[in-house]
Amino acid sequence: MNEGWLALLQQALSLLFSLDPEVWSIVSVSFSVSFAALVITLLPSLILGFVLAFGRFPGRWLITNLIQTLQSIPTVVIGLLVYLMLTRMGPLGDLKWLFTQKGMILGQMLICAPVLIAMSQAAFTSVDRRAWETSRTLGASWLRSIWTLCRELKVPLLMAIVAGFSRILTEVGCSMMVGGNIADVTRNIPTAIALETSKGDFSQAIALGLVLLILSLVLNFTLGILRGKAEPRSH
Amino acid sequence: MANLIAKNIEMYFDDRQLFTIDRLQLSEGKTIHLQGDNGSGKTSLMKLLAGLLKPSRGTITAEGFAPLPWWRSNPLLGKAVYLHQHPYLFDGSVEYNLRYPHAFSAMSASDLNKRTLAAIEMAQLTHLCQQAASSLSGGERQRLAIARAWIMRPKLLMLDEPTSNMDKYSQQLVLTMISELQEFGTGMLISSHQACVLTSLCNQTWMIKDRAIISSPASVNPSHTAPINIQDSQYVIAN
Repeated sequence: MNEGWLALLQQALSLLFSLDPEVWSIVSVSFSVSFAALVITLLPSLILGFVLAFGRFPGRWLITNLIQTLQSIPTVVIGLLVYLMLTRMGPLGDLKWLFTQKGMILGQMLICAPVLIAMSQAAFTSVDRRAWETSRTLGASWLRSIWTLCRELKVPLLMAIVAGFSRILTEVGCSMMVGGNIADVTRNIPTAIALETSKGDFSQAIALGLVLLILSLVLNFTLGILRGKAEPRSH
Repeated sequence: MANLIAKNIEMYFDDRQLFTIDRLQLSEGKTIHLQGDNGSGKTSLMKLLAGLLKPSRGTITAEGFAPLPWWRSNPLLGKAVYLHQHPYLFDGSVEYNLRYPHAFSAMSASDLNKRTLAAIEMAQLTHLCQQAASSLSGGERQRLAIARAWIMRPKLLMLDEPTSNMDKYSQQLVLTMISELQEFGTGMLISSHQACVLTSLCNQTWMIKDRAIISSPASVNPSHTAPINIQDSQYVIAN
């Protein structure tokens, strides 16, 4: 049994280090789709998080709670929603994005945004109001002051970004439904792991799992280093 | 001459009325001592004039300042610099904090650099320049915050209990900077419970009492001051 495990691990490492084109094509699809979804979502989500933290307007409570609810909706349900929108009869059918990377990006944006908005709102809510007031009274514009707050909150905001990226990079449901798991086009790491495991080809599944594991370690250690340097502020 | 003029102001905190103002004017060239009991609204008044708070009712207008670009929606922000009682210093070095407002000043880069070096010298921060601002003591933080404002040479400056964390040495350093700004013509509003080294510079007193603001010459004991008729003073105005 142990020998079987070791052999599988050896095969997985060999696939990674021999730069197996199939494995690295899957990794490439995964990263390009998730990175694009993160980049597109990031700025509007941070601004919305800021507005929800600092703004006082009717409906703020409702929007805050809706966004928090959206965080916990299973990705397969979001996949179903995006599928229905992108299908030929759906409102966005004319775009012909179903089973394409664009469709996957749209789905991942809807998964990523609530995490980013909720976590950035929590970060902005925790910031010392004097940071905003000091920046504004010294003459900074609204946008520059938001940038100042982001700088003051770099650790919690980076944590929000890592959490959002991790969620979309590892989700299966939406990518499977909207992307269709087409080799070299929409097959990403989670859908490939699900497929290879069902086929009994564990070596490729383990190889892809190792990529996610290493990425997770790198991101979390980086955050740990940043957190370690951030000393508690005395105001 | 730069002025901030508050008219028909009513200020509430939740349901509690802090104060009302018929007309109040903070002008360039004047140094005013703001007094009042705890919770009377001194900080709120300063934040109103700085554009950081909105009055429950009434208007505050700015005169004598350069016109704002179209995207600046709040016409008061950045006109009068407000310094918190416990100043906020940004995450970074002392020098970073001193250079933070450079980008928002109309002064040339070389003037700003000269003033920054002079401010470091005046506030005795030379040996702390590269140190994290978060590691400074209370008095050093106050000196840094005042030096940061001094570099900007604002037309109007509001200092909220500026000497509360300072020893005599720090107070003397701050006095030098504030006196220099006074000579330049900066209009200042200084809140302080007790007479301190800075209040000796004041030529006017505003006292918040019974939800009204009473103005008087600084030499008069404010506790015995009757409200001044609006005709007699450009500052008064209460209830």
